[in-house]
Amino acid sequence: MSVAAPQRLHPLTFVVGAVRELLALLAAGATVLLVGGASMAFYFALAALAIGLLIHVASWATFTYTLFDDRIELRRALIGRSVKSIPRERIRGVDVSATLAHRLLGVAILHIDAGADGGEGTLNAVSRTEADRLRGLLLARTAPADGAGERDAGPPSRTLARMRRRWFLYAPLSGAYLLTPFALAGSLLGTLYNLGDDLGLITRDRLTRLGHDVVGLPPVVAAVLGVLLLVAMPVMSVVVFALFNWEFTVTARDGSIVAERGIVTRRSVSLERRRIRGVELTDNPFERAARVVRLGALVTGLGDAVHRGRLLPAAPRPVAARLAAEVLGPLPGPLLRHPPAARGRRLVRATAGPVVVGVFAATAGHAWVVALCAVLAVCAVPLGLDRYRQLGHAADAERFTLRAGSLRRRQVVIDHSAIVGWRLRQTLFQRRLDLATLDAGVGAGDGGYPATDLATADAVTFAASITPAWVTPFLETPTPTASPSHAVDTE
Amino acid sequence: MTKVRGTDEAADGPSPPRLRAPAHRVSPRAVAHWAIEALLLWGIGSGLAWGVAAWVRTSDWSGRPEWLVERIAWLPVVIGVAGVFMVAVAPVWRYRVHRWEVSSDVVYTRTGWFNREWLLVPVGRIQTVDTEQGWIERLLGLATIEINTASHTGSSEVAGLPVDVATGLAEVLARRAHDLRDDAT
Repeated sequence: MSVAAPQRLHPLTFVVGAVRELLALLAAGATVLLVGGASMAFYFALAALAIGLLIHVASWATFTYTLFDDRIELRRALIGRSVKSIPRERIRGVDVSATLAHRLLGVAILHIDAGADGGEGTLNAVSRTEADRLRGLLLARTAPADGAGERDAGPPSRTLARMRRRWFLYAPLSGAYLLTPFALAGSLLGTLYNLGDDLGLITRDRLTRLGHDVVGLPPVVAAVLGVLLLVAMPVMSVVVFALFNWEFTVTARDGSIVAERGIVTRRSVSLERRRIRGVELTDNPFERAARVVRLGALVTGLGDAVHRGRLLPAAPRPVAARLAAEVLGPLPGPLLRHPPAARGRRLVRATAGPVVVGVFAATAGHAWVVALCAVLAVCAVPLGLDRYRQLGHAADAERFTLRAGSLRRRQVVIDHSAIVGWRLRQTLFQRRLDLATLDAGVGAGDGGYPATDLATADAVTFAASITPAWVTPFLETPTPTASPSHAVDTE
Repeated sequence: MTKVRGTDEAADGPSPPRLRAPAHRVSPRAVAHWAIEALLLWGIGSGLAWGVAAWVRTSDWSGRPEWLVERIAWLPVVIGVAGVFMVAVAPVWRYRVHRWEVSSDVVYTRTGWFNREWLLVPVGRIQTVDTEQGWIERLLGLATIEINTASHTGSSEVAGLPVDVATGLAEVLARRAHDLRDDAT
């Protein structure tokens, strides 16, 4: 392959770069013009605008990128010179995103992620076709010799999943978006206050009058406002959720999984397939009742994995399971339950907090605190029972799966080959109950996933079944005593 | 997708699924190390507790809750008893639990005292091997080996090894990790 010549970013780059400054300066200039006429301040604003544009043009003219066979170089020569060189073999993901301004101008931001030791680079902005071309080249890095011909034919892309519009209605279930009305109102009020303050519109006098007005509102109006807010919460959550996840599509392209989403800012994240170590399915009790689940990928060396590894923000369970099977492979199952002794431990864990506080409160003689703790402890009982019910593990020849949690239940499915170590933990209490917690060390996602409170023998068997060569040499050899039959009921 | 399959017919019969103890103990001087550490920590702790108790009893600040003043004398006693236990009993207990073993392709350790941890780290997944010495360890001629993989959960630490054993082991592990290294991070 020929070495590419240095290339510039898209000529419109300085426009998108300057949009924010432009808007701010225009607003400021207009205000100044309104308040004080064409004064000195107005000319200063104009000068600042001109200088800002000049800097953006200059930085566009002095920035080049060059794609070599083994690396991509980003050169900047505005004031100091800097060359950033990212080895292509280190590149773990290429994201293409576009803000509203970018989309109007037909350009996009290309973000190159090369893991912890490779650094990252941003091309802001290139044309959409160039972004797609670069993404294809950077991700399909397998020896140019054998892949060159195929790549020219255009990558065969296949849609794996697409979010339906009506799934946006699941947004209030997750809870995360319910507070958006407050956030919006807060930022709006803050902006208004700052703006008013800057223009000298806000005086102590007016504030007190406003305060009196608010306090003096008839209760009916206050109640109506409250109801409106309650209604606004789920509605706004759906709206915001839809804005972020509009046309959420997952496609398979050229050895990568590409997730695209968003309406205002369209964002696409490419996950290299051979770096996907597993998937996780998350839900909470509400979502469980509606049989909805969130799907994410566990990817080696992915920064901001919570957002970027997302494969489906909310979808019916069968759809998520099908996508997981496409991305990783069929999910192992059915899940095996953990021994009944684990139930007691979950209950103790759930109620311990309030009980301990309650005992202290009792010695100190605070009756109402004791009552509160008692109520909390009683409420924690069903939680503990559910936490036990949700514990589960299973393995097949390729993958294993672990499930835990109640208020935030998470099931991870991980490739056997992703394991970098086993950690078996046993507290004194667990030892008495013959339980142990098995942590699977994985170089992706959280780094380790626990199988909480397995029977000790099962924990060892589980690890041995997944990586026999690592575990069997360390098993106790003789003692053919009465075999402690596998204590797990396999329903 | 390197799947290491060792002995093919390892699972002959229902082998008792218990992990055996790793082969080697750490150096007996490790007991002294843990005891000195505990002595320093808990010595400072009980001193502080003593001071707090004395202050609460004697000060005439009216915000003190009555129930606290009556019982505060117990604080230094409790901390002191716990400290004696941590200095005299825990290090020996820990010494009896701590063990390590390096087979041809796995580092196997057992650590802890009250709670125990068994750790199996395949040599092929090791990224770095560090040897470290704190000042107490230097006095006692001990060293700690840190074995790091791509995951914190899969990373191991063997404390209380004699210095020569530790450096030799680190060298062997680093070399073998380099030879066996596969891409699965």
